[in-house]
Amino acid sequence: MSTGGPNPPSTPHVKAMNCPGCGAALNLRSFTQAVTVVCDSCHSILDAQDPQLKVLQQFKKATGEDPPLIPLGSRGKIRGTAYEAVGFQRRTIHVEGIPYSWHEYVLFNPYKGFRYLTEYNGHWNDTATLRALPTLNPYVGQVSVAYLGETYRHFQTAQASTTFVLGEFPWQVRVGEANEVTDYISPPRVLSSERSGNEVTWSMGEYISGRDIWKTFALPGDPPAPIGVYENQPSPFSTNTKAIWTIFGAFAIFLLIMMVGFASSARDEEAFQGAYIFDTSARGEASFVTDPFELKGRTSTLELSTTTNVDNNWIYLNYALINQDTGQAYDFGREVSYYHGHDSDGSWTEGSRSDSVAIPSVPPGTYFLRVEPESDSGHGTIHYEITAKRDVPQFSFFGIALLALLVPAALITWRSINFEHLRWAESDHAPMESNTGGDDD
Amino acid sequence: MRNLYMIYGVIVLGLLGMSEYRGWSLASVNEVKNVPRSVRDNPGSYRSVYAVYHHYTGGK
Repeated sequence: MSTGGPNPPSTPHVKAMNCPGCGAALNLRSFTQAVTVVCDSCHSILDAQDPQLKVLQQFKKATGEDPPLIPLGSRGKIRGTAYEAVGFQRRTIHVEGIPYSWHEYVLFNPYKGFRYLTEYNGHWNDTATLRALPTLNPYVGQVSVAYLGETYRHFQTAQASTTFVLGEFPWQVRVGEANEVTDYISPPRVLSSERSGNEVTWSMGEYISGRDIWKTFALPGDPPAPIGVYENQPSPFSTNTKAIWTIFGAFAIFLLIMMVGFASSARDEEAFQGAYIFDTSARGEASFVTDPFELKGRTSTLELSTTTNVDNNWIYLNYALINQDTGQAYDFGREVSYYHGHDSDGSWTEGSRSDSVAIPSVPPGTYFLRVEPESDSGHGTIHYEITAKRDVPQFSFFGIALLALLVPAALITWRSINFEHLRWAESDHAPMESNTGGDDD
Repeated sequence: MRNLYMIYGVIVLGLLGMSEYRGWSLASVNEVKNVPRSVRDNPGSYRSVYAVYHHYTGGK
């Protein structure tokens, strides 16, 4: 829908008459095309086709009970055509004894005829009657209709009664009149059928923001904020969800390519290996240094692996990887412990006999290791082997990256599902576990 | 939102590429500068910041 600023028609067509009920002046804006007109003062519903304005129904309501948000007589451009608000009605349905009401505004253009705006809890629809009939597509579970190649899913069927009227109407309006209203949705559109006796009228509504309505009719202030999720409110997430999963798929493939690329290009080169024995009973200084070894290539990881023969025992190794030329050291400690046994639950194990750690961003150069083993004294000798490998790819980062890509995609999907859940919770097809969560639309 | 996710993904993959190329790791390592050359002759003169380890005796 395209909207524009107020654009009053150059020649307003207003016919002045008087209400036969109270004598108040009546302005017939849609003149010959109105079927009924409601007196602003006494709320008598009058036959607009009758030159004497026969009273059709006395309608006793205070004028201020339900003032229209768009005052009658307001003009604005909808889809490039200037319309004037000429009528206003409130319609009510009852669901489980609770009344739910919405408002309908009758708009008129002398050349284009009538169209309608509906409002419920701050949600607006621009509605026009259909010139062709939709086709019914019954299928298992839920009925749908097709119109102009688009499928609309059944949302709700209810008995709607008119509970307040004001202005002019192109039909014989009555307060208390009830019709069966059925809505089929394909956001942002809704197809509505109204059955009155054997007559069925179809109309199509398209969701429009209140801000656009306010701009169109140059209304003061701000429109009421929408409450909850409306039946044909377009989801801000649904179009994004599919696109985001497509992008995620592309990223995942790229990530896989990166993983293969880094794994195949990594040097993964053994730079040092040494086997040692730690006598836990020995006294004196346990620390020692290894022979120097060369780390080649660009700055990259150095994976240090420790393999031991600990058995219901532990060993802690204070490591320092020291650059022989610069004096820069990477200081860290690793524990290797392995326990096992049997208890009432069966056999158990805890820990491992080996350990490895990747020292980050080690520049090339000549290094040696300072090693200082520790353990409980009196546990005999512990054999251990130290292996240093240069430029080993860190797959943990790929896992983190995948998770970092997955979380926003999953979050957007969850919000989309939640949005649809809130939408359908108000329908005839509400999920069994639905919780309206205070949304009453 | 799509564009935002696209930018975010490119940043994530860029950081991943940089982390792999620069050899980043999640390991906690303490960097010490100017360790004297005498450590080679007297390893006991160097004191690791991780020394005096308080071991938790595991097992059931």
